[in-house]
Amino acid sequence: MIKAVLVFNNHGKPRLTKFYHYYNEEMQQKIIKETFQLVSKREDNVCNFLEGGTLIGGSDYKLIYRHYATLYFVFCVDSSESELGILDLIQVLVETLDKCFENVCELDLVFHVNKVHYILNEIVMGGMVLETSMTEIITRTEEQNRLEKQEGGFAAAPARAVSVVKNINITQQIKDIKLPDLPAAIKDLKF
Amino acid sequence: MSRNPVHVNLAMQCIANIGSKDMAEAFGQEIPRLLVSADAIDVVKQSAALCLLRLFRTSPEVIPSGEWTSRIIHLLNDQHMGVVTAAVSLIEALVRHSSEEYRGCVSLAVSRLSRIVTSSYQDLQDYTYYFVPAPWLSVKLLRLLQNYPPPDDPGVRGRLNECLETILNKAQEPPKSKKVQHSNAKNAVLMEAISLIIHSDSEPQLLVRACNQLGQFLTHRETNLRYLALESMCLLATSEFSHEAVKKHQETVINALKTERDVSVRQRAVDLLYAMCDRTNAETIVQEMLNYLESADYSIREEMVLKVAILAEKYAMDYTWYVDVILNLIRIAGDYVSEEVWYRVIQIVVNREDVQGYAAKTVFEALQAPACHENMVKVGGYILGEFGNLIAGDARSAPAVQFKLLHSKYHLCSAPTRALLLSTYVKYINLFPEIKSQIQDVLHSDNNLRSADAELQQRASEYLSLSVHATTDVLATVLEEMPPFPERESSILAILKKKSGRIPDISKTPRAANPHASERPQGLGTSDTPTLLSTAGAAVQAPAAAAPTNTGLLVDVLGDLGGGGTSTAAAPPATNGAHPASPAGGDYGAAAAAVHDQQAAVKKFICKNNGVLFENDILQIGIKSEYRLNLGRVGIFFGNKTPMALTGFSTSVTLPDGLTNRLTVQAKPVDDNIDGGAQVQQTVNFELIEEYVGMPDLSVSFMYSGVQQKLHLKLPVTPNKFIEPTEMNSEAFFARWKNLSGPAQEAQKIFKAKLPMDASLGGRLAGFGMQLLEGVDPNPENFVCAGILHGRGVQVGSLLRLEPNKQAQMYRLTIRSSKEKTSQVLCDLLVDQF
Repeated sequence: MIKAVLVFNNHGKPRLTKFYHYYNEEMQQKIIKETFQLVSKREDNVCNFLEGGTLIGGSDYKLIYRHYATLYFVFCVDSSESELGILDLIQVLVETLDKCFENVCELDLVFHVNKVHYILNEIVMGGMVLETSMTEIITRTEEQNRLEKQEGGFAAAPARAVSVVKNINITQQIKDIKLPDLPAAIKDLKF
Repeated sequence: MSRNPVHVNLAMQCIANIGSKDMAEAFGQEIPRLLVSADAIDVVKQSAALCLLRLFRTSPEVIPSGEWTSRIIHLLNDQHMGVVTAAVSLIEALVRHSSEEYRGCVSLAVSRLSRIVTSSYQDLQDYTYYFVPAPWLSVKLLRLLQNYPPPDDPGVRGRLNECLETILNKAQEPPKSKKVQHSNAKNAVLMEAISLIIHSDSEPQLLVRACNQLGQFLTHRETNLRYLALESMCLLATSEFSHEAVKKHQETVINALKTERDVSVRQRAVDLLYAMCDRTNAETIVQEMLNYLESADYSIREEMVLKVAILAEKYAMDYTWYVDVILNLIRIAGDYVSEEVWYRVIQIVVNREDVQGYAAKTVFEALQAPACHENMVKVGGYILGEFGNLIAGDARSAPAVQFKLLHSKYHLCSAPTRALLLSTYVKYINLFPEIKSQIQDVLHSDNNLRSADAELQQRASEYLSLSVHATTDVLATVLEEMPPFPERESSILAILKKKSGRIPDISKTPRAANPHASERPQGLGTSDTPTLLSTAGAAVQAPAAAAPTNTGLLVDVLGDLGGGGTSTAAAPPATNGAHPASPAGGDYGAAAAAVHDQQAAVKKFICKNNGVLFENDILQIGIKSEYRLNLGRVGIFFGNKTPMALTGFSTSVTLPDGLTNRLTVQAKPVDDNIDGGAQVQQTVNFELIEEYVGMPDLSVSFMYSGVQQKLHLKLPVTPNKFIEPTEMNSEAFFARWKNLSGPAQEAQKIFKAKLPMDASLGGRLAGFGMQLLEGVDPNPENFVCAGILHGRGVQVGSLLRLEPNKQAQMYRLTIRSSKEKTSQVLCDLLVDQF
C-alpha cells in the first residue's frame, strides 16, 4: 500500500502532498521535512530506494523517489509494493502531468494544484494503484474537465451557492427556533 | 445514483479519500453492487473495487460473503486490464483476511498471468509499458500468489512454473529498448517472479536459476538492481536448495561492502553477509565485517556490532577466536557495543574453562592500551576479578601489576563501572592476599568511602568491613568464583530480532541439506555442552535476570549495571531530602519556557493521578500514581520522542526546604540511556509525615545530540493525595461538622469560577481524594465531602463543603479538619481547581 505521495522542490518546499493514512497537520509537516532531509542529501545516481524515516514507520516502509530537474517525487510504500513497479508509476505520473500541461514544470504544480490532485486521484485511490495506462488516465481527466466546463466550472460555484441560499426562508426559520426554559433551580439558589 | 460515470467515479474518490466508518455504513450496500453489476462500465467497476478496499480497511464487515466471494474472484477474468489491476489489490487484501475463502483465486490468477506473459507487447495496447505487457498487473498477480503455498493441482502448478520460466527466459533476451523504463518494468516483473520462487521454495531448478540471475544483477551497473539483488538474495540464502549457490557470490558481496557508494546498498550487503554466513566462511565474513566497521556509517554501526557478535558466537570453533573478535569489536566501535554484547562475552568466558586463561591474558593486554573504551574496562575488570589468578604466575602480570593497571583506569570511568571495579578489587583480596593492604587503602580513600554516589559509598564500606572482619574461609566462600550461567537464548539475538523484523532468522539454519549442520556439536567441544545459541524460546531476558543468587557478592554486578537490579544488602540509603535543591545552573534555553507552562500544568494534577506532566520536542514525561493511606507510589515515564538515544540520563527527586521533615521520598534508579522512541519508567515512593505546602522537585538531565539538557519540574505530589475517602450519612456529617467549629479548624474561601459550573464539578471534586457524599446537604446544588488524611502516625479527619452560586459565578469553599493547619493547606490547594 502507498502511504503517502510527496512532491517537493530542491529546497524542500512541498508542491503536492497526499497522505493515504491519517496524520494530523503538524505530523504531516514533520514527515515532509524528515523525508526531504533523507532524500535531498543523497547524491544523484545512487539507488532510488531507501528505508523510511522514523516518523513514517521506519524500516518497514520504503521511500521510493525520483529526482526531476527541480522536483523530487517521493512515494512512501509498505513492503507489499514492488519497488521497481512504484518507480515506474512515478514515471507514469510525471509523463501524464507532462501531457496534460504540455511540458510540465514546477509552476504548473503551484498554479494548478487542483488538477494535479485530480490526476493523482485517477492513478492512486485509497493507497492502491487504480490505473496505469496513460491513455486511460488522460481520457478520464479530460472527461472531468469537460463536465466542469459544462457546469460553469469552479468560478460559477459561488453564484450557484448564493442562489441556493436565497431560496431558504431564513426569517421564518429564526422565528421557529425555540429556546429551552431556564431551569427553575437557578431562582432557588441561595447564598 | 447518477447515471453519469464521471459523477459516480468522483463520488467514489471522495468516499475513498475520507474512508470513515460512517462512509462504510452508508455505502456498504451500494459499492459491492456497482462492482459486480453487469451494466456498470469498466471505469466504475475499477474505482468501486478500490473504494471497497478502502472501506474494508476501516470496517472489514462491509464485504458481503457467500456467493459474493466467487463473483469477486471472477473479476480476475474481466476483459479490461484496469479492472483486473484494481480487483487484484482488493482480492489480495481479502485473502490476507480470510485466505481459505478465497483460495479459488489461485488458479484464475495463474491463468491470467500465463495469458499476459505469453502475449506479445502488441496485444495489450494501452497496458503495454515500454514494450513490457502489463507489468503492474503481472507484479500484482505474482504478489497475490505469494499468499499461498505452491498450488496442489499439478496442472495449475505446471502452468505457473512455465510462466516463471518464461519470465526468467525473457530476462536473457536482448532488450527491446534502450530506455531505462523498459528495463525497469521488465525487472520489476522478474524480481517479483524470483520472490515467488523463493517463497514457494520447492523447485530446486528454478531456485538455482533465480540465484544465477540475481548473481548477474549483483554486478549490474544499475544501482537499483544491485540493491534489489542483495535484498532478494538475503531471502534466498535461507533456502536449503540455494544456500550453497548464494555462497558463490561471497566475494562480490564483500566487494560491494567496500566499494558501494550508497549506504542503503551497503546496508543490504551487510544483511546478506549475515544471512549467508555459516561455519565454513564465518571467519572470513566476520573479519571483513570487522574491517568494514572501522569506516562504517554511524547509522548502521550498532546493528553491525550485534551481527558480528552473533556470528562470532554462533560459528565459533575456537573460543579464543570469539574472545578476540569481541575485544576487537569493543576496541573498534566501543560506543556501539551494547551491554548485551559484553554481558554475553562474560557469560561465555565464565561458562567455558578452556578459554578463561586466554581471556584474562587478552584483556590484560588490551587494557594496556593508553586509551581504552569504558566497555573494555568493564569486561577487563570482570574477567580479571574472576580469573586474574590464572595469569598471575607471569611476572609481567603479577597481582600488583594487574591491580595498578585497573586502578589507573578507575578515575576515568563512570559510577557503574567504578562499582564493578570495586567488586573486582574485593575479589582480588580473596585471590591475592598479598595486595590486601593496597586495596584496603583504595577502599578507604575518601573518594570511595565518602563518594557522592550512594552505591559506590555502600560498596566501598561493605567491602572494606568484609575484608577487615571476615576470616579467610568466609572470604573464600563469599568471593568464590562465579558459578556458570544457565544456558539460554543469546540475549543479543533477541535484541537483533527486536530491532529488525526482516532479517532472516539464521538461528534456524540447521537444515537437512546443509552438510555442515551435522558438524555443529563437534565444533563446540564436548558434546554434552548445550549449544550456546539455544533456539528455544524468543523470550527476551536481561542477562542478569536469571543469575543465580546463592553465592557471591558479585552476583548483583550485572544487575546493577543493567540499572534494574537492587543491591544484595540493604537498599541504598534513601535520598530523603539529603540533596539540597540543586542550584539552577546549566542551560535553560528553550526549556525555560516549557517549564513555565509546566507550572500551570502541574496544578491539573491536584485532582487527578495520571497524565502527561511535561512535553517538549525531545521528551515526554508522564505520571501514573497510586496512593494508599500515608504511602504513595509515583511511576514517572520518560518517553524519548526523538530517533536518537538520550545518553547520560539521570533524574533526582528532591524536597524543597520546608518539606524535608514532612515527606519522605525514595527514588528507584533509572536507566542512563533512553533509546530513540523508547520509554523508561522510574518509580518513586513517598511517605507522608504531615501536611505541607508545595511539591517535590524533579530534576532531569541528559545529553541530546551532544548538548546537555536540564529540566527542573515540580512533581505533583500534594497532601490531598494521601486522603482516604470516608462514607458517612447526613447526621454523622453534620454532627462532626459542628464538632469542628474552632476558628482555626475552619478555612474558608470565596472565589470566582474559572471553569463552567456544570456536571463535571462533582468529578473534579471526587478526584481531590475525598468521598463525595450525595444526598447529605439539604441544598442539592451544594457538594459535601469527607475523608481522612493519613500521615505517619497521625490521621486527620477532614470535611468539605462547596457551595456554588450560579448567578454570581462564585463559589464558597469551606474545609474543616481536626488539625488546624490541614484545613488551610487543603483549602489553598483546591481553590484553583474551579
